[in-house]
Amino acid sequence: MKQPKLILCLLAIFSITISFGQAKKPTLMVVPSDAWCVQNGYTLTFDDQGSTKKIPDYKRAFQENTEVLQVISQINGMMADRGFPLKNMESAIKTLESNSAEDNLRQSKESGSGISESPIDELKKAAKADIIIQLTWTINKTGPKKSINFNLQGLDSYTDKQIATATGTGAPSFSAETPVLLSEAVLSHMDNFTASLQSHFDDMFENGREIIVRIQKWDDWDGDLETEYGGEELGVVIEDWLQANTVKGRFNTTDMTENMALFEQVRIPLYNDKGNALDANRYVKELGKFLSSAPYNIPNKPVMKGLGRATIILGHK
Amino acid sequence: MKRSYLFISILLMLFANFGAQAQWKKEKALEDTKIWRYDIECEGIAKQGAKLVKVWSYSKNPKHAIASSMRNAVHGVIFKGYAGGGQGCTSFQPLVNDPSVEEKYKEFFDEFFAEGGEYLKYVSAATDGSIGPGDRLKVSKREYKIGAVVTVMSDQLRKRLEKENIIKSLTSGF
Repeated sequence: MKQPKLILCLLAIFSITISFGQAKKPTLMVVPSDAWCVQNGYTLTFDDQGSTKKIPDYKRAFQENTEVLQVISQINGMMADRGFPLKNMESAIKTLESNSAEDNLRQSKESGSGISESPIDELKKAAKADIIIQLTWTINKTGPKKSINFNLQGLDSYTDKQIATATGTGAPSFSAETPVLLSEAVLSHMDNFTASLQSHFDDMFENGREIIVRIQKWDDWDGDLETEYGGEELGVVIEDWLQANTVKGRFNTTDMTENMALFEQVRIPLYNDKGNALDANRYVKELGKFLSSAPYNIPNKPVMKGLGRATIILGHK
Repeated sequence: MKRSYLFISILLMLFANFGAQAQWKKEKALEDTKIWRYDIECEGIAKQGAKLVKVWSYSKNPKHAIASSMRNAVHGVIFKGYAGGGQGCTSFQPLVNDPSVEEKYKEFFDEFFAEGGEYLKYVSAATDGSIGPGDRLKVSKREYKIGAVVTVMSDQLRKRLEKENIIKSLTSGF
């Protein structure tokens, strides 16, 4: 009778260790760069208060350009082999469209009410990932000779930092077709790209996840970041909290006025005191709890944007 | 009767001598390349998951240099990496970034790179073992520098080292 209990205990400890030992895994997605879309004519043009603007038309690029599909498919395959399957942008766009159509038609069986959706919810409906792998290539031609200039950039969606890269020009060829040259370019660059991505992850595990924290206030709140609590301005109180709750006290105060504050390069631990994986949303919720408790008693609304960016709006929910 | 005993004894001694000499040659080949004195360069784009490299090995005996080129190539992919260059080659960072790892996992690597060791699973000759005419250089009175083109299965090698926890996988920690 004692043995099954012991086994159960060991299993429980093992599962807790497994669940606590995992940091939140970022999602990755390959996206053709704006430059590539413009060069190849996959753009939508619109008039923005008198000035003509071009934005990439990804859907048309995926429907009409087989080379981009080949490159993305090859990158996806190689990343999956490294245990990091990527989000496929073409599928993500299709899923968004079908979800949107379903949401428009959905009605409650009892009241006939539709799905609740604010303009912000609408805006957030976009194909997104934590790390965008921006892809650009150009074909260089000198007489009959062809070569490919290939550029892969890993961009953190929240901090806008380039965290991984692989770029270079392939060997010139008189006879090879463009898809062959593209395939060679992917093969020769992916190892360098994953190596720089690995360095980024190593840095993250050592120095914490880098996030951006914004503080804003509702227009009708009578306090602001210059309001004093026990002789300290609220902005300084928040800075002190960040100092105490970041890895090695690392963060930068990029901007601070009475209405807003922007903290960049905030290095948050990967796990909280309870051993749960931490991301920007959970981290900012902990700051929110601190501000809503005595002596500050400031109700607030944490707003998340993926793993690496969160905002607290002070005043009320 | 005595003559036949003498004949058999001489024959046995000769066999023993040949065996010892073969063993000595193997040890000599290992000795010559024990300090991992070699140069590695990219030779072109290989198939997915592999690296096509040319390894220049040094030895007093050209045969020893050829024999050790496969071992050197695997060692180079793990610990040295190479610079980019022509034929569409890009630079390659070694699988192990920390030089102290070789010492830390000495037991594993000694066994891995031993004569007939596991390293042979991850390398194959790209040119049927033949050496190009310009790849057999006499660099001094008693030393040769031999360039051999080999294919190293870098992805499989990386997975093997990940399995031993010598290097981290891209997903470790997540």
